[in-house]
Amino acid sequence: MTTELATPGEESAATSTILTIADAGEALRSGTTTSVELTTAMLEKATALNPALGAYVEITSDLALEQAAAADAAFAAGSDAGPLQGIPLAIKDIIKVAGVPTTANSRILDPAWGGDADAPVVARLRAAGSVFIGKSTTSEFALGMPDADKGFPVPHNPWDVTRTPAGSSSGTGVATAAGLAFGGLGTDTGGSVRGPATVNGHSGLKVTFGRVPKAGVVPLGYSLDSIGPMARSAYDCALLLQVMAGYDAADPNAADVPVPSYTAGLDGSVDGIKIGLPIPYFFDHDQLDPEVRDGVLSAVQALVGLGATSTEMELAHADKAQHANALILVGEAYAYHRNNMVERWTTYGKYTRPGLVRGMFYTAADYVQANRFRVLWCEQVAKALETYDVLITPSAPTTAQVAADMNPSQRLLQPSYTGQWNLSGLPAICIPTGFSSEGLPLSMQIIGKPFAEATVLKIADAYQRITDHHLQVPPVDALITTAA
Amino acid sequence: MHSIEEEFGNQLDLALESNGLTPLPEDRAALLKAFSTGREQAALVFSVAEARYEEPDLIFSASLS
Repeated sequence: MTTELATPGEESAATSTILTIADAGEALRSGTTTSVELTTAMLEKATALNPALGAYVEITSDLALEQAAAADAAFAAGSDAGPLQGIPLAIKDIIKVAGVPTTANSRILDPAWGGDADAPVVARLRAAGSVFIGKSTTSEFALGMPDADKGFPVPHNPWDVTRTPAGSSSGTGVATAAGLAFGGLGTDTGGSVRGPATVNGHSGLKVTFGRVPKAGVVPLGYSLDSIGPMARSAYDCALLLQVMAGYDAADPNAADVPVPSYTAGLDGSVDGIKIGLPIPYFFDHDQLDPEVRDGVLSAVQALVGLGATSTEMELAHADKAQHANALILVGEAYAYHRNNMVERWTTYGKYTRPGLVRGMFYTAADYVQANRFRVLWCEQVAKALETYDVLITPSAPTTAQVAADMNPSQRLLQPSYTGQWNLSGLPAICIPTGFSSEGLPLSMQIIGKPFAEATVLKIADAYQRITDHHLQVPPVDALITTAA
Repeated sequence: MHSIEEEFGNQLDLALESNGLTPLPEDRAALLKAFSTGREQAALVFSVAEARYEEPDLIFSASLS
């Protein structure tokens, strides 16, 4: 099912109804369109909408068109590198792309950071024939909130530009939702792929720690960082992950674990899948929006209707897991930034400074205790996953908040449902479950066993075969008129 | 006798100075909040009885393996 996608200027019938990577792949191979046509339309739209949406730090038009032409030439010569050939993607601007500056949305980072080579994950996408529309906006160093004072584009939620697009993979999230890329790369250390997917109304997968090599990525928390695919559908995330995943010696944390087929099991069936619903904290918190909760429970019922079973259960100390993750994350981040913070304090953004320096306020004993707790948490979750195939929770307690009302310090003590799974290194996907009474995306999170991305994707895909929430496109046409 | 707020402020100043950090006056409110929030988060993690140190330290030993 597709929804008409408006593009600036003359609308191409060929490109206007293509929403997903899978759709685009079909159109490219049937000759309905070309990668140059798709890419040109997307570049025009990205350029027209960037003043209003702030999805990109840099739109790499020349590179994108060169890659698109190469993809078309390859198709014409009978060469097909796979589903990502000719597909326009966004790359989060803390990930190195050869020949393109990496800024991490900061005046601290030397744009030549990372040298001349692609990050391994980018090299894999390039070899698969994909097209890089641009480097997408991020919170400074993947932490904190956008700061307009630093001169970088400020990303906005395309469903309501007064609302946060979440972070830190904001730009890829906005681009995917608004049709300025078919998907792309984000990173997730405490929720930074899943948060933007949640509030922008599409799919985002945090992978098992070590599943995708993270060399060539500016680090935030060494023991927590992961790179994840973001796209409209779980199926598209599977197509992306198939290329991204696998061992690379450049990353000492990369897991030397075989990469299965992520699409073979996407047949709409969830017969016999056992779902655990951890009720305390995730479903009964007084700050959980009832519409969010009801959206998840309806989705679970839909999965039960397809043959899954669901059981209420408990995970003790889920709230403490959120704080242990935050403590480890910021401690590790401060260790990376410490010298720059001493020498170049004011070059950091005003929201990033207190966020990072919190790592200095934790003691060595705090860090040890957080890691001690981490093992306890991992053991508890592993035990639960002996009984259940997956756990399902809300992705976030609320829909997208009004950006002007957000308080970075206040946020830290509010409930959060994503960091627990970084702490345990497990795969977790967030997908849309509908829309709130205010027209904002609702979302659920599916958490799986280590390296069981295929199961998580299977369940998400099965739900998306009977719903179309992930295919809804925000009304960005009016923004084009405003920005022009 | 110092109030809790004054005490936090003194501890914040000592921490910043001993780490060579020179924030702006406009950062102070956010730093105080970050400091107090950080202590609160650490206290919550330490509150988990099953995760506290006991001889032998099986939990932390597991994390090192």
